[in-house]
Amino acid sequence: MAVVSISKGTVVSLTRVVKLALLAMSLPVGVALAQAPVRGGTLIYLEQQAHTNLYPPAGGFYPNGGVLNQITDKLTYQNPKTLEIEPWIAESWTVNADATEYVFKIRPGVTFSDGTPLDAAAVAKNFDIYGLGNKELKHPVSEVITNYKASEVIDPLTVKFTFTKPSVGFLQGTSVIGSGLVSLKTLALPFDALGDATKIVGSGPFVVTSETLGRELTMTARKDYAWGPKKLAHQGRANLDSIKYVVTPEDSVRIGALLAGQAQVIRQVQAYDEKQVLSKNYLIYAAPTRGVNNSVVFRPDNPLVADLKVRQALLHGTNAKEIVSTLFSANYPQAKSIIASTAQGYVDLSPKLTYDPAKAAKLLDEAGWTVGPKGLRQKDGKEMVLTAYESLPQPQNKETLQLVAQQWGKLGVKLIVLAGDAGSRVVDNLDPAKTPVSPAMVGRADPDVIRSQYYPTTRNVLLQKSPLAPRVQTFVDDKLNGLLEAIAAETDQAKRMALVGEVQNYVIDQAYTIPIFEEPQAFAASPRLKDFTFEAVGRPSFYAAWLAQK
Amino acid sequence: MTRYLLGRVGQALVVLAITFTAAFLLLQVLPGDAIMIKFMSPEMALTPAQIAEIRASYGADLPLWQRYLTTVGNFLTGNFGYSIQAGVPVSQQLATNLPPTLLLASLAFVAAVVLTIVLAALSNLTGMGWLRAGLQSLPSLFISVPVFWLGIMLIQVFSFQLGLVSVISPGPVEKLILPVATLAIPISAPLAQILMRNIDEVLTQPFVAVARSKGASRSWVLWKHVARNAVLPTLTIAGVLFGELLAGAVVTEAVYGLSGLGGLTYQAVGNHDTAVLQAIVVISAVAFVTINLIVDLLYPVLDPRLGRKVAAT
Repeated sequence: MAVVSISKGTVVSLTRVVKLALLAMSLPVGVALAQAPVRGGTLIYLEQQAHTNLYPPAGGFYPNGGVLNQITDKLTYQNPKTLEIEPWIAESWTVNADATEYVFKIRPGVTFSDGTPLDAAAVAKNFDIYGLGNKELKHPVSEVITNYKASEVIDPLTVKFTFTKPSVGFLQGTSVIGSGLVSLKTLALPFDALGDATKIVGSGPFVVTSETLGRELTMTARKDYAWGPKKLAHQGRANLDSIKYVVTPEDSVRIGALLAGQAQVIRQVQAYDEKQVLSKNYLIYAAPTRGVNNSVVFRPDNPLVADLKVRQALLHGTNAKEIVSTLFSANYPQAKSIIASTAQGYVDLSPKLTYDPAKAAKLLDEAGWTVGPKGLRQKDGKEMVLTAYESLPQPQNKETLQLVAQQWGKLGVKLIVLAGDAGSRVVDNLDPAKTPVSPAMVGRADPDVIRSQYYPTTRNVLLQKSPLAPRVQTFVDDKLNGLLEAIAAETDQAKRMALVGEVQNYVIDQAYTIPIFEEPQAFAASPRLKDFTFEAVGRPSFYAAWLAQK
Repeated sequence: MTRYLLGRVGQALVVLAITFTAAFLLLQVLPGDAIMIKFMSPEMALTPAQIAEIRASYGADLPLWQRYLTTVGNFLTGNFGYSIQAGVPVSQQLATNLPPTLLLASLAFVAAVVLTIVLAALSNLTGMGWLRAGLQSLPSLFISVPVFWLGIMLIQVFSFQLGLVSVISPGPVEKLILPVATLAIPISAPLAQILMRNIDEVLTQPFVAVARSKGASRSWVLWKHVARNAVLPTLTIAGVLFGELLAGAVVTEAVYGLSGLGGLTYQAVGNHDTAVLQAIVVISAVAFVTINLIVDLLYPVLDPRLGRKVAAT
């Protein structure tokens, strides 16, 4: 008996024994009520935007991830708590010493929903396309796979990948949303046809059974699904029978529908709506994205922000605490480094990120920027006027930038926040002369995300000179790039983490970035929805989810 | 009559060609294009060489005139191309979005006409001055209500508070009730305003006094003599409004999360999705031209004097 074994050998008062006995009697009933998942039912999920092209490497866009995460499986599973890479479709793997060869053993018996086998040949074909692209069908290369050379099918359940240079991030790269495995029939379709969700055939716990483009789709559970990640508590088929995914662009309609019981879970809840949800005893899920924080970055190629002192002044003139407390909630922790405190290799740099307007003013004076007649700082007849485009996917980004503009305004620095059309935004954001400042953020639970964000031939947020940014005149930071390359190639985990710490310090010392807050993916859900979980960077997973009785 | 019709169809084709070309050119003038917006976004993280390859594969690096001719050729053969952003054929998007928009616009239009007639008739037939004044000021109220606010209010009250209709998983009829009301109210406003003013004007005409003095009742005069004369300018406005409804339901569609041309247009404009926009421009132009043709053909039916003029041309 549980009670006996607990109290044995310990000195307990009589009342405590009674309490324990009572607990023991009530516990099994309580556990049964709280824990036995209900099988069946349809979950209604409201999404703010329609999904776009569902080619898996384009799955980073959150509305796409919400669909792909239910219908595709990955080679490996990244445990969202420990960030360890665990088996999923691959039962085991080996990596050579310099991370240029990876061999995966595939779990037997896995099939795509069209009945074709998910074997070594299928895995090889998937990664050949994600790693090299397909010109004829217009499939682009995946962001998370670098230096990919070739695949080799060793036997029906063993596949080997080789790389031209060390590719340390590849193992984690096989676990991300962009590496979802799809049927060869899907890969045979041109890129332009992959926006139709019914054509994306995966091996996941759900299958898209119908879709009204841009409006809604239905995902139905696969009855024969038996290959979820082995270490998960839930095994076998999904608990839910189906998920109805409805695009509901208007914020107030999503929240109203949730609270009126017309839906059970909604994505994208603004911080100012959280109270309304919580006051009705509904739940807010703020899943961390574990990558590069929501930040303001500089493009030092622009002469206005080329001077380190100017950038440092603006860093110390930005009150991130005020932004978080004014616009956001406890679910948006103030940033303490360029990456989230939940990210691998994070170091706390808050002493370097202090808000100190007096220091900021002094730094600007030292840099030769003096306050002119209009209250604007000027130097050599030039006024300190900076421009940034708001980023639509980031929560309340316009408001965030406007608050930053107010704070900088007190220093005599003007920040103009533009909305602009998509075309101008893309073009101008590649030109440091037009956008000396830009908002930035990216979620991915591997240190490789830092390289991806800053390296000149990838996202290149600082706009270093590279073929990707033809408008940049001269700015290159070889030291930064050296560190980033080292992160991508370092196979020793401890050394790699040391490099990650070094890069964080370097980027802040150079004041290239002003980190604002750790960005979550905010969902609201009915208390009836149980075992609602997330992958490592906040995409919803409904594999184990179930709906309690009303 | 046949010559008149042929002439009108000819005019319509010219209008279509001009609209098509203008839309094509305007979309080229804007900074950036759909391929750039889709593939240069940091989400995709592609290298310039990869982007150049993609541009070439879409033919985006060809000279303007060549792309124009290709687009014209494709349209003439019924090939609308692919939406770069959504990754589906434009024809599939149209098949999904056009029918619900047509249905919504038609129903909203009918509802607006009914509302207009009821308002105009009531305000003219009522003997009570205060009721008349109240009814006559309704159109001003209707026109000043923002569609967005109206839509959200209707949802909050009828769906979330009273639970009378579902917005998220409604039945086929249920789904249309609130959106039709949301669209019909602001559309009825200009119609009602014009109809009421015209009725007032026609009522001052001598023939009305003659009819009344012969002993005709107020309502008989209204239906038999006044309505016919007052309805012509209203019809012109109605034609324009119906055309606007087709593409103008953006807000209603967004609030209710309905599929439709409005939302599709909004998305396509935002992403410079040229293929989608070209198709929408052509469809809208066809709709406008057709509606205007119908309105023109209805004039002589309502007013025989106009019929003689038409026949003479």
